[in-house]
Amino acid sequence: MDTLLATVIHDAKNGLATLGAWLEQARAQTPSPALEEACRQAQRINTQLVELLALHRGSEGTLRLAIADHDLADFVDDLKAEWLAPPQSTITVSWPADAGRIGAWAFDAYQVKLVLLDVLRNALRHARTTVALRLAVEPGGGIRFTVQDDGPGFPVAHSATMHDQGSGLGLSFARLIAREHRTPNGKHGDIEMKNAPQGGALFSLILP
Amino acid sequence: MDLRDKYGLLIDDMADMRATVRIQLADGGLEKCDQARNVKEAVQKLSLRRYDLIVCDYNLGQGADGQQLLELLRRRQILPLTTAFLIITGETSYEQVATAAEYAPDDYLLKPFTADALRTRLTRILEKKEALAPLYRHLGPKGDPVQALAVCDELLAQGSRYSLDILRHKGELLQTLNRSQEALALYEGVLQQRATPWATVGKARVLAAGGDDTAAKEQLAGALKAYPNYLAAYDSLAAILEKTDTEAAQAVMEQSLAVAPTTQRQRRVGALALENEDYVRAEEAFKRAVEKDRTGFFKSHDDYAGLARSYSAQGKVQEALATVKDMSQYFAASPALTARQAAVESQVYAKAGNAEAAKAALQKALQTRQGGDLDPATQLEIAQACFTSGSAEQAKDIIRNLAEDHHENDQVLAEAQKVFARAGLGDEGGVFLDATRKRMVKLNNDAVALAKAGELDQAIAMLTEAADRLRNNCQVAINAALALLMNIHRKGMDTSALARAHHYILQARHANPEHPRLEEVASFYRKVAPPGTLILDDE
Repeated sequence: MDTLLATVIHDAKNGLATLGAWLEQARAQTPSPALEEACRQAQRINTQLVELLALHRGSEGTLRLAIADHDLADFVDDLKAEWLAPPQSTITVSWPADAGRIGAWAFDAYQVKLVLLDVLRNALRHARTTVALRLAVEPGGGIRFTVQDDGPGFPVAHSATMHDQGSGLGLSFARLIAREHRTPNGKHGDIEMKNAPQGGALFSLILP
Repeated sequence: MDLRDKYGLLIDDMADMRATVRIQLADGGLEKCDQARNVKEAVQKLSLRRYDLIVCDYNLGQGADGQQLLELLRRRQILPLTTAFLIITGETSYEQVATAAEYAPDDYLLKPFTADALRTRLTRILEKKEALAPLYRHLGPKGDPVQALAVCDELLAQGSRYSLDILRHKGELLQTLNRSQEALALYEGVLQQRATPWATVGKARVLAAGGDDTAAKEQLAGALKAYPNYLAAYDSLAAILEKTDTEAAQAVMEQSLAVAPTTQRQRRVGALALENEDYVRAEEAFKRAVEKDRTGFFKSHDDYAGLARSYSAQGKVQEALATVKDMSQYFAASPALTARQAAVESQVYAKAGNAEAAKAALQKALQTRQGGDLDPATQLEIAQACFTSGSAEQAKDIIRNLAEDHHENDQVLAEAQKVFARAGLGDEGGVFLDATRKRMVKLNNDAVALAKAGELDQAIAMLTEAADRLRNNCQVAINAALALLMNIHRKGMDTSALARAHHYILQARHANPEHPRLEEVASFYRKVAPPGTLILDDE
């Protein structure tokens, strides 16, 4: 039932998976910084393809989310486990310690994880020393993930795309996933970007 | 949580994948682990022993997958709630699978994964299972909803970190016990804190059960807008619509079929299309169900009967008869199969104008029915054949008996109503079935009133007569046992009465293992029965 574009993306992903396997094998046999970097690039392209596919489905109206209850402490643990900082990175990443207090929330953990890992990677590129992920209950209902860095902040004139390495793919994906989270009484999620009063960029993902 | 003392089952069709995952599991401390290559082997293993955890690859080869296996295990109730079920899957299939699952596993793990990730996920699930084990003990077919409810409250009072899971179970238990007001309050309480699909649909179900179909429909429409692939919402909505507007119900089921094209959903669409006299669509849906499931796990006589009926209504007599014949090839021989085939065949012949062949086939079906206890669907098929051949009285006798036997089972009564409707006797059927149901309720009420008034002998006589005649009526059997036990309690031990009470409790258990009043009578029995007499074991 997929369109041509979706099929091509799938093919590319499969090809990339094969490439990734070869790279992993090569890296295991003769480790080198170049192969490390090649593996990371392959992963990055894979993420982009996943996002592209989601955006394509979103525009076709065929994107499906798996909304289910997830324990937020477990979710943060998974996020931490999958987070791969670049080697030699000196940036400290801090994680929310009190996610368990909120308990469980209904959302698509797979897609939201992709969004947050992407945002964290971006923040890392701009941070000077620290990146912080926070999680809080929204006053009007919903939860808010915030990623804050201590870099120069979003450039005011191009706040929507500049931070996102050119294409704006990650940002569009984040917005799509946020907005596809809906509630029966008509609320939906969203993203917010602003600069913190003390400097640095603040990215929020709000889930209803 | 240590995996060392756990027993695992690893299911994957690829030998090298099994070897890799087995090593990863061993790294995580799991020593005891059986392996299965496919669904058949997995089911065999599972029927031999209880496993603490199951790791199952999504792709099992030969068109079977882990999600289907899970569905099979849940439907056949051979997967204990205490067993962890983890599906491992590639990214591409994950997106398709997880968003349209009929039954959710405890978790999915995406490939490639590390031994550490695998252990973390399993440990997490097992910790939850352990915390909820006191609750799981009282859930399921042999469970006791009242006790389960008490455990829910206890765990909630302790501030369990799994409170949302517990609330979800509690809501279902309250619904089972018909405590609608409490269930409604529970769902509304949850929804005030957070939006979540199960609470939205739970609330709609409670509203529908209370007769407020309009509010329930509104609730479900909202649910589907927010969660367009939440299958339970489609099912609940279709069930409400079916009462008044079968075409709208069919449209809703068609939508759900687009989300998850499973055999069960094809069957539902086929049945609704038959109701709506949309025979072309019915033929297509049943054909899919039959073809997809010929060697599958969910095959049912109903699909073949439905397909034959769809053909027959379009005048495709040969196709209809061939479909009936096909059943012999795909199902084991049994009285139910013989009767079903004959009853369907009779209707096909009648529709084709061959009254003689129709009568002959009907005779065969009726004869088989004399032989013993047939399931409701087969009996109704025979009743339908009677109507078609002009034996309305005989049809009504069959339905009366069936309705008395299953007067608490709304589904059987609804199916019976459809048989009347197809015979053009919808109004009469409604009155007939309502009267039958009321008669049974009155019988039980009268007997209870007699017992309360001290006329126990009379109550016993009434109830045991009915219980001996209606072997599938759980409530009658329970009341018969209760009356016998009350008599013993009042007048002293009577071993033959005790043995009869024992017999009726087993009969009730057999009729409906999930009846909410079973535990009440069983505990009364245990109180009354002296040591050395027949024991009510929890087989």
